[in-house]
Formats: sequence, structure tokens, C-alpha cells
Amino acid sequence: MSIVTVQLGQCGNQIGFEVFDALFRDSHCSQGLCSKRENEAYQASCKERFFREEENGVPVARAVLVDMEPKVINQTLSKAGQSGRWKYGQHSCFCQKQGSGNNWAYGYSVHGPKHEESIMNLIQKEVEKCDSLSGFFIIMSMAGGTGSGLGAFITQKLQDQYSSSLKMNQIIWPYGTGEVIVQNYNSILTLSHLYRSSDALLIHENDAVHKICAKRMNIKQISFRDLNQVLAHQLGSVFQPTYSEDVSFHYRRDPLGDLMEHLVPHPEFKMLGVRNIPQMSENSLAYSTFTWPGLLKHLRQMLISGAKMEEGIDWQVRPPFSGLPPLGKMSVHKDLHFNTSIANLVILRGKDVQTADVEGFKDPALYTSWLEPVHAFSMWKTQRAFDKYEKSAALVSNSQLLVKPLDMIVGKAWNMFASKAYIHQYTKFGMEEEDFLDSFTLLEQVVASYGSLGP
Amino acid sequence: MVKSALVSQGYPRSALFQSLEGGSQGSRELLLALSWLLARGPLLEQLLAQTRVQLGDELPQCEGETLASPGPPAHRMETERPTDLRLVEWLMGKLRFRWRRLISSQQEQCALLSKIHLYTRGCHSQQRLGHLSVAETEMLRDPESSRQILQALESENNRLEAALEWRRCELVFWQWMDTVLDACSSDSPAVTSQPTVLPVISERGLGELELVKQELRALQEELREVAEPRRAAWEAQVGGLGRGPDWSTTRKALQEAVERELATLQSPWEPSSNPAQPQRPLRLVRSKDESPGPQGLKAAEVIGTLRAQEASLKKVLHQLQSQCRQELARLAGALPGLIWIMAPGH
Repeated sequence: MSIVTVQLGQCGNQIGFEVFDALFRDSHCSQGLCSKRENEAYQASCKERFFREEENGVPVARAVLVDMEPKVINQTLSKAGQSGRWKYGQHSCFCQKQGSGNNWAYGYSVHGPKHEESIMNLIQKEVEKCDSLSGFFIIMSMAGGTGSGLGAFITQKLQDQYSSSLKMNQIIWPYGTGEVIVQNYNSILTLSHLYRSSDALLIHENDAVHKICAKRMNIKQISFRDLNQVLAHQLGSVFQPTYSEDVSFHYRRDPLGDLMEHLVPHPEFKMLGVRNIPQMSENSLAYSTFTWPGLLKHLRQMLISGAKMEEGIDWQVRPPFSGLPPLGKMSVHKDLHFNTSIANLVILRGKDVQTADVEGFKDPALYTSWLEPVHAFSMWKTQRAFDKYEKSAALVSNSQLLVKPLDMIVGKAWNMFASKAYIHQYTKFGMEEEDFLDSFTLLEQVVASYGSLGP
Repeated sequence: MVKSALVSQGYPRSALFQSLEGGSQGSRELLLALSWLLARGPLLEQLLAQTRVQLGDELPQCEGETLASPGPPAHRMETERPTDLRLVEWLMGKLRFRWRRLISSQQEQCALLSKIHLYTRGCHSQQRLGHLSVAETEMLRDPESSRQILQALESENNRLEAALEWRRCELVFWQWMDTVLDACSSDSPAVTSQPTVLPVISERGLGELELVKQELRALQEELREVAEPRRAAWEAQVGGLGRGPDWSTTRKALQEAVERELATLQSPWEPSSNPAQPQRPLRLVRSKDESPGPQGLKAAEVIGTLRAQEASLKKVLHQLQSQCRQELARLAGALPGLIWIMAPGH
């Protein structure tokens, strides 16, 4: 089943390009460590999901590109076209001549309604070219102007028009020390609107990805391109084909649907984080070997301690002992911020994947009390290696990983709101203080819900 | 398992359940049970319908009637410890996802079916049909599947011929069963069974029908007795109200409204004599013709019927939802100081 991607704003378009490129490169990679037939099945599955055929044989990405200024879109289109391996559809983009000045309200209340018909038409055309539609990716930043306001608007329209299709928003969480003064306002407005109209919010934190680039990839001058490539690698490791659970070894038809059913059926718990291991530069890759026990041990600890990458993991954090009364020492453990999960999905790719032992992830102590590990944990796998990594593991987690960052943003936004700073920029385009208050209420509720998961 | 199935269908003879496995009495009871099943409903036809070989693409059967009545309220389940509400919400969410994915799959199936119908236009030997169905296309593509379909058709033919043969000899069977039942009652008079009238073809359940007719007549009489004085009283009250053109248009509007309400009240109870309700499976055909032929239905009619069913189901849903809301409000009122916060998105 196919996924249609909507790339919004500068952020969404640059990342979208890297995602399609990573998916294509991996599916045509010759180092899959599997038989030719297996490789062809993998390729075909990936292709059907993310690309479509056109007459002259170059695959076309199932994507719609939207931005309020033409520069980034043109760059993206030409980069894709130049490679000669895949490209974007000729008529799949929508852009205007002006920007939106990082103003969420302008994106939501002005650009949105004005361009709704054109954008939804483009999406409709792309949907019609799918034999079967699984759902949508919407790639956008949370804090910018175009991507965030317009993204919130478009997601709402998608919910109205395609109510039976699934929607996952790929959200770029801004740097904590970002440059845009009103980024916290934009963030809370985006998040609260998306929480109502989207099915899943897969969060990618700039800070985390930046650290991965610096520490693991040894990149000196980190550019946006580097960040985007790490992000694309993470997404690819989740959505590239994996075997379905039943006996016949076919690739899973609908990973998006399976993921959503496992991880986000509860309307209050929609925030997902992704981690993967190992992460390293291509040069180092040639000299490294991995074992499944080692990878899984690290991944488990990353989950428990909320670490963003496999370096600097805090090994002191342990799951609380269930059933025993809390001792005096337990309070120390509590300070170490054990990350309680609701549900987790582990995806394993590569050599000898059938020997991998994931029992550690089925420990009830990792999970909240009302959902048992048999319902909370699921695993996908394939022996076909991903992106030249002989073995790799990814984790998509619905857990308390994002509570702290969310709480911080809500706190900062509230402080600004209390003094009504910059509110007029929003109210002059039809928004009201009421909308801000609704957003705060909703997000406080989300923070409280995740907070109450504790052991 | 067979015995419990029979009980759930209402089988009256208790002797079956007391008899021993095997032995002549046991097999006689089984025979009686079989003949009871054959007699009470079109069992043979139902079985044949279920095992039909489908060559055309079929319309999914409308199952609206079974869902329209809300049924008895669910029992409150007692569990060892209280279920966390969040788990219930989690499971509901999973159901909703499955539902949406099912709809997507159905849409996909429709799109593909449409493609097959379009691409095979002009391929069918029967001009009236014009294009191939999925099964027929499969037969052309894969000789193995055409062999299998042929086998299935041949065995279905055999079953149909056996059924016809049965119909010819049926009378003999019932006469024989009469003697078996007599032998049974003379054997064990202690076994109390309601006098089960094994139906002879010409007198199927006549006694029961008579009873129902009488009850219906009595009800109608009662209704008339109650309605007459009320109608007279209303006429007297209203008769002096207004004359003139305004009044007659209002009156006409009122009459139409009442008629419409009566119709919606009646429609769930009507037997499926609605022409837009297919009695037996129909084959999906895409055609430029306006007329679907004597046995056929236009898609628009079926869609109309389905929409009407959807509307009435939605009404039932709203009724149930408002009942729930009232119940919640009542419970909330019982706990002073309780504040309700609506979840986002509702």
C-alpha cells in the first residue's frame, strides 16, 4: 500500500528529498546481504510504497511539494532530477512568491484557506495514482512560519477529506536555543492543532540529531544537509520493508497501519520518538562489527534512560523493582528519570536477525501498569541489511521521552503569553487569546497523561 | 456440540439429549432431529446457496436489519480487579484503526474491480454482460484455476441433481418419519414431549398461523377501540380552529410530516419486498445501458437504499449516545464537586 508525502516549507522539502533519496539508494543497494530474489522483492515493495512509474521508466516520488517561496522547491526539484535515478512529478508542486515571515497565524489563517483548493487538488491527483492508499506523511517543522501554520491547516483538511486514511506528521522539533523568538508560540499552536487532527506525531529533535552528527558521524561543520540525512536514515530504518508476521514470508503490506495500531491507538498518547543504532560515518562502518546482544542491550538502555544516541548512555538508570515497597534508596533512582513506556516497536535488519533476542524489551517493568508487554511490545524484522549496515536496529517508542522537552516549551510559551508578548502578531490575522489558552490546556493535559504513566 | 446447537435452535425433543451414543434409539433420535431441521426451514436451499460457485463479481449482502435493532443492554462484567479505563480506550482505538484500514481495503478492492471491468470490455461472450468478472479473468490467465472452477461446477451440479431427486421422493420420507415418531412415543410414553407436529407438505405450521392471525385481529381491534375516541376528541378540538387558505396549507404540511414519520417508523418492519433490496446475490456489471433488465437493479437504487439504512442507523446511534450522555450526567450529578473535562477532539 502506498504512502503519499506532503512536504511543507523549507524544512519539509529539504528533508523530504533526503528521505526519498535514502529510500531509493537503500533499495538499490547491492550490499543487501541477501539473495537476488529477496532483494528484488524488497525493492518492489519499497518502490510501490513510495514511488510510481512514469513512461520513460524513471520512478517518480509519491509526493506533493508546498512552499510559499520558490527557491527551496526549485532546488529540491533539480537535485532530484539531476541524479537521473528518481525524480519528483512535474506538476506536483505548489509555491507562491512571498514568504510568511515565520508567522504561524498567517500560515494557518491566510495562506491555508487561500490556497486550500490548489493544494488539496494536487494531493488528490497524487492519491488517484495510487492503487491503494495507506495514508500520508506530512513533513514539517514545528516552529517556523509556513511549515507549521500551513501544515496544521492542511492536516486538518486531510482529516476532513480522507477520514479513513492514516496520517503521520513528521515533526521537526526546533533547537532549544533557536533563533526565532516566537518559536515556542508556533510550537504549541502546531502541536495542539495536530494532536486533534493527526493520528501520530513522529518527533525528530534537532538537538538530538545534531549530537549524532557531531559525536557519531564526526562531522566538523554540520550543515542542514547532514542533519537531514541522519533523519532520513532513521525514517528509512523504520519504513523500509519488513516481513509480515504470518508464515508466508512476504513483505508487510502496510507498515504505517501496523505501526499505528501497535503504538498510537489511544487518543491522548500520540507522540512518538525514534532511535536507531548503530550510527556512524561510512568510513568507520567498514571497520566495525556488531553483535545483536550488544546492539539490543544499548538500545534498551537508550530507551530506559531516554538517551538520544548510543554514546554517553546513563547506565545507572534501572527499571524500578515491581512489587517491592519503595526503599529509602528508591528516591535516588526516581531522580534518574526512568522512562516509562506505553508501547514500543523494535525493527531489526541484517545478518542473522533470527538469532536476535528481544526478551529484554518484554520486561513488564519497562511499561506502564495498564498495558501488558504482550500488547505493548512488537518487533519487525528482515534479514536484508539496511543502508550498508550489516546489522541495525531501530526503536519507535510511545513513552515519556518527549515529556520534558514538551514541558519546557509549554513553560517558555506560557511565560511569554503571561506578558502578552508578540500576541498581536497572531491576533491581527484572526486568532484569539482563546486559541492560545485551548492549546495550553490540551498540552498540559498531554504532559499530565504521560507523566501519570509512572511505575 | 451438535446437541447444544440444536438446543439453541429450539429443538423440543429432550429425548435426544438423554439417549446414549450409538444404539438404535440414539440413531433414531438423530434421524428425528435431522427431519425436524429439514422441516422447519429451507435448510436444503440455504446449504446450496452457501456452497454456490461464484462466477461473477457480487454485491456484498445488505446486513442492515441485523444491526438496526439495538438489542438487549450489555451485562456489566465483573472482573477480579477494575479495568483501567485507559486500557479500554486503547482497545477502542485499535478497533477504530482496524475499521479504517478495512474501509481503505474495500476502496482498494473497488478501484481494482473497476479497472478489471474497464480493461476487459468486449471480452465476454454474452453481449449483455460485456466484460469479465474477476473469476473469469483468472480463468483466462491461469488454466489451473479454470480446471478447479470446472470441478467445483461439476460437483455443484451433482448436488443440485441430488436435491431435485430428494424433492421427488420427499413425500415418502415424511410418511416414514410419521411412523418413526409413532414408534417412538409408543416405546417410551414417559418421555414428555410437546406434540410436535411433523409437517406434511401441505399443512406446514397451519395451526400456528391460525393462532397468530387471531392475535393480530385482537390487536387491531384494541387499537381501533383506543384510537377512535382520541381521534374524535382531536377533531372536535381542532375543528373549530381556523379556516382559510393558510390553515389548509398548514394542515397539508402537517399531514405530510405525519405521513413521513409513519413511513420511517414502518420501514424497519417491512419485509424485504423493497424492489431495491436484492433477494438473491446479483452480479456486478458495468454497462453503458440505462436499463438493467428485468432481474436487475441499478446501482443508484441500491445506493439509495443503503443511504436510507445509513441514515436510520445514524439516528439510532444518536439516540443511544444521548441516552449515554443523560446517564453520565445523572451519575455526575450524584457526585457533587465533580468537574467534567471533555477530551480533545470531541
